[in-house]
Amino acid sequence: MMELKEIQRLEGHTDKVWSLAWNPTTGHAGIPLVFASCSGDKTVRIWEQNLSSGLWACTAVLDETHTRTVRSCAWSPSGKLLATASFDATTAIWENVGGDFECVSTLEGHENEVKCVSWNAAGTLLATCSRDKSVWIWEVLPGNEFECVSVLQGHSQDVKMVKWHPTEDILFSCSYDNSVKVWADEGDSDDWQCVQTLGEPNNGHTSTVWALSFNVSGDKMVTCSDDLTLKVWETESVGTQSGGGFAPWTHLCTLSGYHDRTIFSVHWSREGIFASGAADNAIRLFVDDNESQVGGPLYKLLLKKEKAHDMDINSVQWSPGEKPVLASASDDGTIKVWELTSY
Amino acid sequence: MSEKFSAALRIGDLNDYIAPSQACIVSLKGLKKNDKPEVSIANKQVNFEPVKISLKDCLACSGCVTSAETVMLEKQSLDEFLNNINSGKAVIVSLSPQSRASIAVHFGISPIQAFKKLTRFFKSLGVKAVFDTSCSRDLTLVESCVEFITRYRQNQLVDDERSKSSLPMIASACPGWICYAEKQLGSFVLPYISSVKSPQQTVGAIIKNYVCQELGLRPEEVYHVTVMPCYDKKLEAARDDFVFQFESHVEGLESEINMISEVDSVLTTGEVLELIQSKEVDFKSLEETPLDKILTNINEEGYLYGVHGSSGGYAETIFRYAAKTLFGRQIDDPLTFRNIRNSDFQEVTLEVEGKTVLKFALCYGFRNLQNIVRKLKNGKCDYHFLEIMACPSGCLNGGGQIKPNSGQSPKELSQLLESVYMENVLVASPFDNPIIKGLYDKWLEQPGSVKARRYMHTQYHPVEKSITSQLHNW
Repeated sequence: MMELKEIQRLEGHTDKVWSLAWNPTTGHAGIPLVFASCSGDKTVRIWEQNLSSGLWACTAVLDETHTRTVRSCAWSPSGKLLATASFDATTAIWENVGGDFECVSTLEGHENEVKCVSWNAAGTLLATCSRDKSVWIWEVLPGNEFECVSVLQGHSQDVKMVKWHPTEDILFSCSYDNSVKVWADEGDSDDWQCVQTLGEPNNGHTSTVWALSFNVSGDKMVTCSDDLTLKVWETESVGTQSGGGFAPWTHLCTLSGYHDRTIFSVHWSREGIFASGAADNAIRLFVDDNESQVGGPLYKLLLKKEKAHDMDINSVQWSPGEKPVLASASDDGTIKVWELTSY
Repeated sequence: MSEKFSAALRIGDLNDYIAPSQACIVSLKGLKKNDKPEVSIANKQVNFEPVKISLKDCLACSGCVTSAETVMLEKQSLDEFLNNINSGKAVIVSLSPQSRASIAVHFGISPIQAFKKLTRFFKSLGVKAVFDTSCSRDLTLVESCVEFITRYRQNQLVDDERSKSSLPMIASACPGWICYAEKQLGSFVLPYISSVKSPQQTVGAIIKNYVCQELGLRPEEVYHVTVMPCYDKKLEAARDDFVFQFESHVEGLESEINMISEVDSVLTTGEVLELIQSKEVDFKSLEETPLDKILTNINEEGYLYGVHGSSGGYAETIFRYAAKTLFGRQIDDPLTFRNIRNSDFQEVTLEVEGKTVLKFALCYGFRNLQNIVRKLKNGKCDYHFLEIMACPSGCLNGGGQIKPNSGQSPKELSQLLESVYMENVLVASPFDNPIIKGLYDKWLEQPGSVKARRYMHTQYHPVEKSITSQLHNW
C-alpha cells in the first residue's frame, strides 16, 4: 500500500498561497531542493532544504515589488531567474544574486490581473496570461531584457494558465471559456497562431479549465476543471517529426467520479504519477492502470489524502531530484511537503 | 466582445465584466449637471426629453462597456447614413485611399475606376458630393512636417531633460493607438503624440468649417460620412474634441447654439460592400462619374496623386522634409527601410558626417507597439519619429477592410492591396498640392499658424480608471 506522508508544514505567508514552483536545477548532486511560493500577501518566499535535517526553511522573502496578489511563479530552466505573475498586471523577473533576489525586469502590457507565467524548455521564451483574455509571448534577450514577440487573442474569457510543452516550442493555455488552446509559430506566417482548440466539441471540458500538465516524454497531457473531471490527451510522434507540421492532440480518457469539488491543480511526475489538488482540501494521486481490461479505464486512483489542508488546495507540484517529493499550496496560508511511501 | 476592433482596443478597452458599483461618470455633453433639486410649481405640464447616454459616451469612458455595445456601434452607421439621405440633409462622403484600394481589389478594377464607380453609386443614393481623404491627409502631413521641425529644433536647443521629452514624435492618425495611449499609458506618452488631427478629422474640419461656408450651407444641414478601413475610426469620430459649437442666425429667430460634429458617422469598407450588395448593384458595370474636385487629389490629366506609404506615409514624408529642411539633403530616391524584428517594424536613418541625425520607424501591430512603449518607459528609445499603427501590416489591413476570398490567404491579400494602392497614382509632395495651397491661401493662412492650429490640431486626455474597477481579486 502507498501512503502520502506529511514531511513538513511550512508557515510564513499571511494570506492564501496560490502557487509554488521547484527550482529545476536543485535536488541533484548534493544540491538542496529549493522552491518558491507566492501568495495573496503580495510576497514570494524562497524555501531551501537543509540537507542534514531534510527540512525546508524560508531563506528569502521577495516583497515590496508587487502591489497585489502574486498568483504564479516559475523558475527559468537555468534556475537563475524567477518569474512572478501578479494581479497588479505585471510580471516581475527576479535574479538570484548570491542568495539575494533582485528584481531585474518588470513586464507590463496586460490590462489587468496576470494569472500565470511559464518558461519554455530552452529558457528563451516566456509566456504570460491574464484576465484580459490574452496570452503574451516574450523573448528573453541578453542583459535581462525582454521583448514582446506576440500578443495572442483567441480565448473568450479569463486565461487561467499557460504552459510550454516540455520539449517543443508549443504553448498551451487553458481558460474560463472551457477550452485549452494550442499555439505554435508556424513557419509561413510571421506570428504565433492557434493551431488547435480542445473544447467541448472534441471531448473537452464543460467548465473552466484550471491547469494542465505533461508526462515526462511530452506525448500525454492531463487537464483539470470545474467540471470535476481530469482529462488525458495524447499526441503522436513528439520530437520525431522531421520538419512536419504540428501533431494534433486527441482525447484519450476522462477521469470522473473521483472529485467532489473544483480541481485547481494537476501535475504529472517523472515516474508517471499525477497529483490533483482540489477545493475539497484533498490530494489525489493517479497512476496507469496496467491491469485494465480492454475498454476499461486507463488510469486508476492510487490514493486519496483527505484533509491534506484545512482549505482549498491551489497548487500541487512534484519536485525534481532522484526521490521526488510533492509540495502543496493552500488557501489556509500554508505549504506542505509530502513523501510518497509504501508500507 | 467584437473581433472587429484592433487589438489595442480589444485589450485595453472592451470588457464583458462589469465591476460592482460602477458609477456612471459620463459627463452630459452640452448639459451641465445641476446638483440642486428643483421643485416646479407651475400649473402647466412640461414635457422634458429624457437625457440619453449615447454609445459614444460609454465608449469614451473607462468603465462598464461590454461587447454588446460594440455590436450596436457596428450596426448603427449604415442605417443612420441612409436615414440622413432620406431626411433631406446634404450628405457628403469622404473616401479613404485604403478603402478605395480594398474595393478595387475586390472587384478587380483600378483605384480610380473604383473611386468613380463609388461616386456614381453614392450619388445614385442621393449623396451630394464624394471627396478623397488623400487630400486632407496632405494637409495633415504638411502640419505634421512643420510640427516635427519645431520639436526637433526645440530638442536640439534645450539641454534639460523635460524639454527633450518632445521626441520621438508619434503619429496621431491611428485611433486604436490613441485610445490605447489615453487609457493604458496616460500622461507619460501623450506628450509625444503629434497634435495634428488625422485625415478623417481634418477633412471633417475642412468641410464643416470652410466648405459649408463657401457653398452657403449651414453645418447642421450637412451630414458628413467617412469611409474608412477600420472600426476604430468610429470611435475617433465620436470624440468630444471633434465636436464644435456653431452659432447660426436664422432670420427672425434668436441665434441658437448647435453642436456640430466634424464627422457624423463612419462606414467601414466592408459596410460599403454590404450596402452595394444589398442594393443589388452590378458594381463593375456601373458607369464612372466625374469626381468632385474640391477635395480630391486628381490632377488635370485625370490621374490620382498622393504620397508613398499605405498607412498614410507619415514617416516617409516627414523624413524627406526633415532631411531637406534641417540638413539640406534632398532625397528623391526611394527610402530604404530596414526590418528590425519583423516586417511590421522597420526603420530608416539619415547620417550626416558619420552621425545618425534622423532615425524614423514604422511600428505596426500590437506586439511591436508594446516593445516601443517599453523602450519609451525605460528611456531607451532613440527614435525621432514613430509611425505607430495598431493593425498588423498597417491600415490596408484594418479590421474594417474586405476579407480575403476563399482560397486567398491574408498575406496574399495584403500584398495585392499594397500593389494596387499606388497603381496609376502619381507621387507628389503634399506641399505641392494645389488644393492644400488654396486652403492655406484662402483660409488657414500658413502651416503652423494660429488658425491652422485651431482647426487642424487636437488634444489627448489621459483616462483615469475608477477605483471600483480595480478592486476585484481572484
